[in-house]
This record gives sequence, C-alpha cells and structure tokens, in this order.
Amino acid sequence: MSYYLLLSALLFAIGLYGVLSRRTAILIFMSIELMLNSANLALVSFARASGDLGGQAMALVVIALAAAEVAVGLGIIVAVYRVRESTSVDDLAEFRG
Amino acid sequence: MSAFDLLMGVLLIASALAAVTLKNAVHAGLALVGNFLALAVVYFALEAQFLGWIQIIVYAGAVMVLFLFVIMLLFDAKADVGMDRLPWMRPVGAALAAVFFLVLAYAFSAVGPNNPLADVKLAGGLPQALGKLLYGDWLYAVLLVAVLLFAATVAAVVLVQPQIRKARVKPQVLERDRELKEVGK
Repeated sequence: MSYYLLLSALLFAIGLYGVLSRRTAILIFMSIELMLNSANLALVSFARASGDLGGQAMALVVIALAAAEVAVGLGIIVAVYRVRESTSVDDLAEFRG
Repeated sequence: MSAFDLLMGVLLIASALAAVTLKNAVHAGLALVGNFLALAVVYFALEAQFLGWIQIIVYAGAVMVLFLFVIMLLFDAKADVGMDRLPWMRPVGAALAAVFFLVLAYAFSAVGPNNPLADVKLAGGLPQALGKLLYGDWLYAVLLVAVLLFAATVAAVVLVQPQIRKARVKPQVLERDRELKEVGK
C-alpha cells in the first residue's frame, strides 16, 4: 500500500472529525474542503501508482467542483447571516423532524 | 519512504489537525492554507506538476481568500467558542473518524505498490500531456464543469442580492391591509 494513500485516508478522517465537531457553518465548510483535498491526494496517488494520467484529470475536475461549491456555499452562509445574525448550526435547527 | 515523505506527512497531519481544532476561525483558515501548500508540494513529488500549480492558485489563492474574507466580514474571529450544546459530539466524532480511517486503510491495503518510475507514462503531469487528455477523452467532463461554474456564478450573484432578505408579500395581503386601513378611517 502506498504511503500517500494512507496519508489521504488519515486526512479524510481528520476532516470528518472536523465536520462532526465544529458548530459554525463556515468551519464545517472548511473541514469539507479538507476532505475534498484528501480525495484529490488519493486520486493523484492512484495516478502515480498505475501510471495513468486519468487520475490527475479527475483531480482537476474535483478542484473545479470545489471552487463552484465554495462560491455557492459562502453565498448561502452570507445570506443566512443577514437574516439570522448567526451561522451556528445549532441556531439553524428548525427543520429538524 | 524517504525523509521528504515523512516531513510532508507530519506537515499535512499537523496543519489539518490545527485546521479542525483551533478556536480562532482566522487561525484555522491560515492552518488550512498551510495544508493546501504542503499538499501542492506533495503533488509536485507525485509527478503532478500542473495540478500542484493549480492547487496553489485555486485553493491556496482564490478559495482561501474567499473563506478568510467571509470570516472577517461576518465574525469577530472567535467563531467557535461559547456553550457547546452537544458536548458528547466531540468524542463520538473522533471515534467515528477513527473507525472510518481504519475502514479506508483496509480498503486501500489491496492497492499494489507504485510502478517503477521508468514504467510511468505521466510525463511529469505537465500541462501538455494533461491538456491532451482533458480535451480528448475528458471533453464531456470539461464541458459539464463549464456549465457548473456558470451556474455557480449566477447563483452566487443572486444569493447575495439584498432583496431576498424580505419575504415577498402577496398582492392580496397588500389589498386587505389597504382596505382595513380605509375601514378604520
């Protein structure tokens, strides 16, 4: 097993812990970016291990996706903050069943 | 495994842990910038030069500037302090993340070792080779990404319009209010 694959698994787990333990929407969002990046690292390691550039092309698509996600997500956070004066996910819980 | 691999591993894990545990949101964002830069260096080492530069420009540049800008616009940086309504969530989250890491490591253990460098046809991951692939086999994905980026741009502009703050009032309600006022007179 490649060392960098193990590293990407560890980074993904750290990002998962961030998503579960943070209480502010923007910090949860930053943890999600961490998880996307660890997936990219896994793709690049796969490309290196198999000698196929397709993994790098996929990583490039993921980076573009993440950029679009950040634009929309931060727009939502700013819009929510204008109405609620808070982005703590505990304060935004009226949709719970 | 060389000393370089070990150093990058320590840097990546330390900056990632700082990004998910620091209380000050600006400090967490800066730790994340460090993580992205270290990841770009790893990309250079893994024969992905173009991707490394894109990582620096898009992630460490554009995305994190956007993040830090929103943090400084909305918060007084102390974003994650105060009473914790779910105090048991931290250990549970850590346990779940540990289980997830073990599962992922088990899944990755089936992947074989790296090919010797002489057999690898990555061409250093330079733009020339990657571009031929992107505008050949991956053209469909590139077009979809273009549509997605366009939609995201429109959404980002629409979402921050000031008028979406007020709920739209139905014309019937306005009419009734006007009539009630007239009766009251």
